[in-house]
Amino acid sequence: MEFADYLPIALMSILGIGFAGVSIFLSKKLAPHNPTPEKLAPYECGIVPLQDPVIRFPVKFYLVAMLFVIFDVEIVFLFLWAVRMDQFGWVGIGAVVLFMLMLIETLGYVWKRGALDWNVARRARNRRVVAPVATLDEAA
Amino acid sequence: MTVTISEFFKESANWAFLAIAVPTLFAGWRTVTSNNIVRAVLYLVVSLGGTAGLFFMLGAEFVGWTVVLVYIGAVIILFLIGIMITRAPLGQEADLSHAMNVKAPAALLSTVVFGVITWAMIDAFGNNMIPPFEPTATSDLSLLLFDRFVIPFEVVSFVLLAALIGGIAIARQDEEVVS
Amino acid sequence: MDAIDYHALLPEIILAVTVLATLLVDLFTSRKSFAAITAMIGMFASFVAILTLAFCDNLTFCTSTGDRVLFGGSFVVDGYAIVLQGLFIFAGFIVVLMSVGYLETDRYYEGEFYFLIVSAVLGAAVMASSRDFISMIVALEIVSGSGFLLAGWRKGDARSNEASLKFFIIGVLALALLLFGVSLIYGLTGTQVFSEIAAASSSVEDIALFNLGAIFVLLGFGFKVSAVPFHFWTPDVYEGSPPPVTAWLSVGSKGAGFVGLLSVCYLALPSVTEIWGPVLWLVAALSMTIGNIVAIKQTNVIRLLGYSSIAQAGFMLAPFGAAAATGADLSQTFSATVTYLVIYAVMNLGAFAVVIIVGTRVGSYELERWSGLNTWAPGLALSLAAFFMSLAGIPPLAGWFAKFVMFSATIGVGSWWGYSIAIVAALNAVIALVYYLKVLKSAFFDTVPADLDVATLEAGTVPGPTSFAIGLTAAAVLVLGIFPGLAANLGDFSSDFLATLGL
Repeated sequence: MEFADYLPIALMSILGIGFAGVSIFLSKKLAPHNPTPEKLAPYECGIVPLQDPVIRFPVKFYLVAMLFVIFDVEIVFLFLWAVRMDQFGWVGIGAVVLFMLMLIETLGYVWKRGALDWNVARRARNRRVVAPVATLDEAA
Repeated sequence: MTVTISEFFKESANWAFLAIAVPTLFAGWRTVTSNNIVRAVLYLVVSLGGTAGLFFMLGAEFVGWTVVLVYIGAVIILFLIGIMITRAPLGQEADLSHAMNVKAPAALLSTVVFGVITWAMIDAFGNNMIPPFEPTATSDLSLLLFDRFVIPFEVVSFVLLAALIGGIAIARQDEEVVS
Repeated sequence: MDAIDYHALLPEIILAVTVLATLLVDLFTSRKSFAAITAMIGMFASFVAILTLAFCDNLTFCTSTGDRVLFGGSFVVDGYAIVLQGLFIFAGFIVVLMSVGYLETDRYYEGEFYFLIVSAVLGAAVMASSRDFISMIVALEIVSGSGFLLAGWRKGDARSNEASLKFFIIGVLALALLLFGVSLIYGLTGTQVFSEIAAASSSVEDIALFNLGAIFVLLGFGFKVSAVPFHFWTPDVYEGSPPPVTAWLSVGSKGAGFVGLLSVCYLALPSVTEIWGPVLWLVAALSMTIGNIVAIKQTNVIRLLGYSSIAQAGFMLAPFGAAAATGADLSQTFSATVTYLVIYAVMNLGAFAVVIIVGTRVGSYELERWSGLNTWAPGLALSLAAFFMSLAGIPPLAGWFAKFVMFSATIGVGSWWGYSIAIVAALNAVIALVYYLKVLKSAFFDTVPADLDVATLEAGTVPGPTSFAIGLTAAAVLVLGIFPGLAANLGDFSSDFLATLGL
């Protein structure tokens, strides 16, 4: 691969950035600018907002994002194996299978622990607190 | 072989380098100075994109794409979700910065470290020209990974496993589904 | 690709299977103790595998002799690797033993806990065999990563959260320094394999950038071994973490840092001792002095042990400082540090096992609550005395031999680099007596606090696994102290290979 192969990508990026930049710049310049507090408020069906729109999302979203990152990293390593897979033979397959086994075990763990269960009502019925609650106050 | 400043600006690759490096530095600066967390994360995207670009310039294609895929594609998502699940305010926040008595020594220390590293870099390499080089082929990298570095490769999977299981145990709600 | 010597990899393979099995057993069985049993069986099996590697010459089925070099020199099984792998597995085993009783006192996630401990042991074991920076840093990642998570295992406790976060931020900073230093060394020598760096180092040692890279690497590991001035996180993290985790951090995690320092200094940079010797001389002197002086003022036993571990790290670093002398016998200073590390690990684990039992029973780790321990638990008080006296270095307990080896190595270099650090160490050995004896005075000669009910305290039992851990470490401390030749053998065993390198 030569650096010249990147020319289309470079051109594409310049075009994309340029188009976005020019659009934003022009819309700022051309649009009439006359703000009032009502106009600046977040739009909520025309009703005055009752509370701060920022709410806490359930921590489950974070678990999904973590899984996504891990599998993303896995793809990077699998790609390296894929470009030369014919050369590595069974040792290579063994290495990759072992690598994937770890991630599959992770998925199994998350599944079995119910962290992928989005059925809120069922979880509420079956919940049992398991983390330490009683704090031994050692410094007191 | 050494280069003078005027020779430096005659080389088109150096212009490309500056075109990537200056926005990267600016974005990095804004990442730490911005008072809006979401904006700081978005500046980080620009900074990481610039880093990927520098890797491309050095002929390390695979590393460059890894930065794009893993950092820009995934880690930034994790950041944004991390902000969403905590009570961190999404808008402007005035008191993100430390007080002056923390800032000043930190600034002094960073400046000294930067100065020492820069001095040592210039002392070691001066203005030597980089010899012409070919980009590293991804397939060469994979040969190394699956021959010499197969132990670290497998260990990486254990790092991911431990991090994920431990992270889930720490992050998840303290409940267990009783079946 | 060469054929892989699976026997050399056997300890790691067994540990890897144990990691997976511990998690699966916890997922699919209802009894929480099954995960701990799986972890212990796996670590025991791995220890046996290490023994077959160590005594390979005397075994009929073992055909290979000498050091086993795998993957082009990236992974080596030699005496040094075997001793330290054995040490890490032993430490992991003891930590699991003392956790079993502790975790039952509250609602912890147990399976994941043992899983993370075994993962950390796996990482530390791989580190001991790694002979290049990439393998070593990836393995270090497991040790630190599981440490960050375990430190925060008391999820409802703000101090545990603080410990986890502090440890994480400091650990990541240390790792960044380490990686930056490695990249500088790689940039100048064109290699990241220790033996090749050793060959190339004399041609680049005059370049300031190479020195800077080496110092960054030392700083990175300096945080891991919690040496002064990179120690400030230690007391808070030790105090906030669940105590069995603290025991692991002070032995396993610190040991992994020492493996990094030993490998980098003696394998990658042995011909440039003038770069790292003076730096580590200073770090050793500061660690001993500041660790000991601050420890005197501590009223919390866990914090006291935290500062004590900083000071002990200083004693282990002293031979590094002595190696700055020209013509120093590197294999002697090397084996002194390894011997000290082995003995320190055993006695510190034992001390933590006793401290955890007493702390859980009294409900506090404050020293004043511990007074009169002897009246309600003479056995515990006696073992506490044994471990603390050993840490102080009083014969016939193992600690004296560790100090003896350290002194003979530092004085043995025959230069003021060695004499000076030996003098600092001698002064500190005396200071250390003050706070170790302070704990024992409180336990043996003070009266029990009035609000503690002696009858309830006497009725409490020591969980079986923990008493086994105390017995095992106490026996080791006695045997190593009375027959110091055993410990010396371990040190010599590990330094033999340095002689083969011609040092």
